[in-house]
Amino acid sequence: MTRPLLLLASLLWVLLASAAPAEAAPPHVTVVARPDRVSTTLGDEFVIRTQLTNTSGADTGQLLVHLNIASLDGRAYVDPEDWSSERSQDISLEPGENRTLSWDIQAVNSGSFAAYVVVLPAGGADEPAGALVVSPMIKIAVADRSTLNASGALQVGVVVPVLLGGLALAAHLRHRRRA
Amino acid sequence: MTTGVDVAGDGARSSASGRDSTGAGWLVLGAQECRDLWWSGRGPLLLFVLSVLLSGVTYLTATNRALNFLEQREAVNLVVQFAVALGVLAALIVSADGISGERERGTLETLLVTPVTRRAILAGKLTAALSLWFASFIVSIPYIWVLAGGVGIMGQALALAFSYGTLVAAGLASVGLLVSALSNSNKTSLAGSVLLLLVLFAPTQIPTGMPQGWFFDVLVRVNPVTSALAHISAQLVQGRSWTQDLSYLISPIVIVVGAAGALAIAGNRLVRLTAGGGSG
Repeated sequence: MTRPLLLLASLLWVLLASAAPAEAAPPHVTVVARPDRVSTTLGDEFVIRTQLTNTSGADTGQLLVHLNIASLDGRAYVDPEDWSSERSQDISLEPGENRTLSWDIQAVNSGSFAAYVVVLPAGGADEPAGALVVSPMIKIAVADRSTLNASGALQVGVVVPVLLGGLALAAHLRHRRRA
Repeated sequence: MTTGVDVAGDGARSSASGRDSTGAGWLVLGAQECRDLWWSGRGPLLLFVLSVLLSGVTYLTATNRALNFLEQREAVNLVVQFAVALGVLAALIVSADGISGERERGTLETLLVTPVTRRAILAGKLTAALSLWFASFIVSIPYIWVLAGGVGIMGQALALAFSYGTLVAAGLASVGLLVSALSNSNKTSLAGSVLLLLVLFAPTQIPTGMPQGWFFDVLVRVNPVTSALAHISAQLVQGRSWTQDLSYLISPIVIVVGAAGALAIAGNRLVRLTAGGGSG
């Protein structure tokens, strides 16, 4: 009686095991980000660096390292493309190797933001999905700034047309008097 | 309108045919055309309208948060392009009125009996149209200064606006004069010229985010207006050297040489009492 039950249980286990999707192990990589905090002004550029270390005894294979930026106070809509034109870098690390990646960023919104880097195993869509390795958060505080001279523009915008209007009127009156 | 052109007194003028043979006639006629344009109040009025539009664009640019937050060079580039576009439009309006306007006002006959060649008449008209472009450029200087002052690109912005603007203005003013000479009605000439300018400027309004393949690139380079403005942007915004992408200058140069050459070659046949032949 117990033998058929055991056989049935084994069969079920095999079936379930084969039906469940395989999950890839996350890359054996640690990520350290520097600096951990940035204070800057709107429009200014800065660089953050991330150091990736392969902690396993084997090659990591091809890895995709991707930068992302999010608003912490939710006041600004963040389009990461505007912040950094190159947000993805491909690397592969040998056992114990570490490499530092630089990310050029420009602050295009004011407020509080977070930047972080995600490490994904590169490969096709049919590769098994798996967990990611994420860097610690880098806090970015961006102070507002007005780069254009609005008051100067107003003065020029009023004075020039007034002068030219006066000139046009004088020319018109002179022409009419002559005619 | 041009009447009573005085070429007497310059000491050397009349050939056997009674036409100015020294080549100085166009200078006299150009000076007369400029006086007509500026003293009649037409030129100052066009400049006033241009300054009002430039004021609006400059103020909106300076107070717009979307532009303010990031790139001052973009803002300078926007005002330079707008200044060039308005200056060229003003020059085109004056040139499009050049011959057809004289015909319609009945003053072309008087002009034709003056002792200057017909080419000189065209050159004089072109000089007056370009004087409006140069005045437009001078008017645009304070607007460019107020935006470009803080970034250290004022000299570059002014040099680009002047050189490329002069090239495009000379080309399109010549085209306007051709259209005017070929039109019996002043309305047709003005409408045709302004429509041409709108067609040439239309591609500059296509959003930059749209997919732009090789065909779009060809269109930009063939069009003298878009190619000149693209070369200005490349230098002002992207910081490229003027020697990079020199192919952008081909179409503006071609339009100047082609249109001015057509005026010089066919000038005698173009300036007639009626367009396309007949008397004159």
